[in-house]
Amino acid sequence: MGRQIVHRLLVSFPALLGVLFLCFCLLQVVPADPAMIIAGPEAKADTIAAIRNELGLDRPIPIQFAEYIGRVLRGDLGRSIISNKMVSEELALTIGPTVELMLGAMLIAVPCGLALGTFAAVRRGRLSDRVIMAISVAGVSMPVFFIGLILIQYVGFKWALLPFTGRTGPIWDGGLPSLILPALTLGLVLIGPIARLTRTAVLEVLGADFVRTARAKGLRETVVIVHHALRNALIPVVTLIGLQAAFLLGGAVVTETMFSWPGVGRLAVGAIVSSDFPTAQGAIMILAIAFLTINLLVDVLYVYLDPRVQRS
Amino acid sequence: MSVEALNAPAAVAESTGALSRSGVLRRLMRDKVAALAAIALTVIALAAVFAPVVAPYDPYLTDLTKVMQPPSAEHWFGTDNTGRDILSRVIYGTRNTLMLGLVGVIIGGLLGGLLGILAAYYPRADGWIMRLVDVMLAFPAILIGLAVAAVAGAGLGAVVIALVVATVPDVARVARGAAVGVMGQEFMEAGRAVGVSDRTLIWRYLTLNCISTIFVFLTLRFGQIILIGSALGFLGMGAQPPTAELGMMAAQGRDFLFMAPHIATIPSCAIFVIVLAANLLGDALRDVLDPRLQT
Repeated sequence: MGRQIVHRLLVSFPALLGVLFLCFCLLQVVPADPAMIIAGPEAKADTIAAIRNELGLDRPIPIQFAEYIGRVLRGDLGRSIISNKMVSEELALTIGPTVELMLGAMLIAVPCGLALGTFAAVRRGRLSDRVIMAISVAGVSMPVFFIGLILIQYVGFKWALLPFTGRTGPIWDGGLPSLILPALTLGLVLIGPIARLTRTAVLEVLGADFVRTARAKGLRETVVIVHHALRNALIPVVTLIGLQAAFLLGGAVVTETMFSWPGVGRLAVGAIVSSDFPTAQGAIMILAIAFLTINLLVDVLYVYLDPRVQRS
Repeated sequence: MSVEALNAPAAVAESTGALSRSGVLRRLMRDKVAALAAIALTVIALAAVFAPVVAPYDPYLTDLTKVMQPPSAEHWFGTDNTGRDILSRVIYGTRNTLMLGLVGVIIGGLLGGLLGILAAYYPRADGWIMRLVDVMLAFPAILIGLAVAAVAGAGLGAVVIALVVATVPDVARVARGAAVGVMGQEFMEAGRAVGVSDRTLIWRYLTLNCISTIFVFLTLRFGQIILIGSALGFLGMGAQPPTAELGMMAAQGRDFLFMAPHIATIPSCAIFVIVLAANLLGDALRDVLDPRLQT
């Protein structure tokens, strides 16, 4: 298992390098000269030249890229043009809320999706199956912001049940109520695809010989479904969750913007709107690395769940 | 074996494609949900194409005496914060949203399909192409949209680039998978043996036999691409005011959510209907044309 994880890490390396290169290119191709932005509109030519020299912008591109990787490894992502704070400090403040939001969404989506999908598979062809599948197709087709708008309008505003702007703090410090609506918005979108795939996977497994054997042994139906069918059906579902990571991250950016959630996505959108290139670059890089990490974790989980992969 | 005989696989693919086209349509129409989705999508597409004729008002005409009016007989979908007719704006917005999705899917599909097929045909290029695809996959579409908007400024161009880049890697993978399967067929080997040129082998033998798989996949992706495009519009990275685009219209309506919820919810609902119809039709097409893609 360890060897497989190391192998997977090595395979991820070119992708990581590609991500870093593209993020590096972001600042190279922006229409504005970062040195001029930092120096301000009134700056003299020699001041701009001095800043260019200090930032290394006058050196050849490959050297600049090598220096950029060095800076990233040291955690130096430059300074925000707007707040003049270190980008790494701003990111450090926002990563926690984003992780919290994504975990909250997964905690809602995965159990609900698994339960609904399994139930639909067991009740195949009946009304409940059709209703669940119709809801899941509708869920897959719904824009994240539509769900968010409905929740804000009714749960947040009309019924005043939960807060709908900002984050009141970490969950262990009374922040749970403010997390519920954003996490629900993001989670509800994911329930559909998970339920759909779980249904297909469980249906496939229910026809397998080992399930027939389990039933023939006289095991209770719940045990057969949960321990034999669902456990084996989890493998494609875990893969799907990995594939949905892009969707999860994209959804998180929209959800954070809607709910004024102080995460990386909102930071990125705000930085782009205000042309704060170093912050935008840092935030986009962190989101891309987060995406690679989720996929890596899914692969590791895959090895853990499927002993056949371990043996291969 | 004559060259004419070797052209048979492609010819067979073409003729069966032509023969099955009416069969596909008949089978699709037998599925009530798919038929309904196809009709809904056709009506929406026609309304979008003929927007200047169909829209009851000028979508950009403001009327400050009629701001934030709820749906009525005069304005079926009500008016927005500057008194513009929301129905007219939704029709024009649908035009832009559909156009974005189509351009993304067509250009992304062509590039991705080409990359996937070349990767399957030239094993030496396979590794490089698939690594490139992996790097592209490391950037979720929204991030690409944000990055392009950061560099080139927000606008429809940024969204198109994001949608194309988001489509290419997935299509490349699917196309490569389908093409690798075709590469193993005997007719490919026979074609090579008698000296059929690479161009003919790639186009007539390989591509024509992979097209239905790529087409079905693109139909399934179309709904997702529209969702991504409208999310970028919602974030302010796409069309800029006063251009009507459904995602951006929803974002503008968000500021008036508590006073006039219809301004934000109607464009969101329109996106939902378009994507739902596209997804249902895509699912039905997959079942008819390529059940292997079923999940």
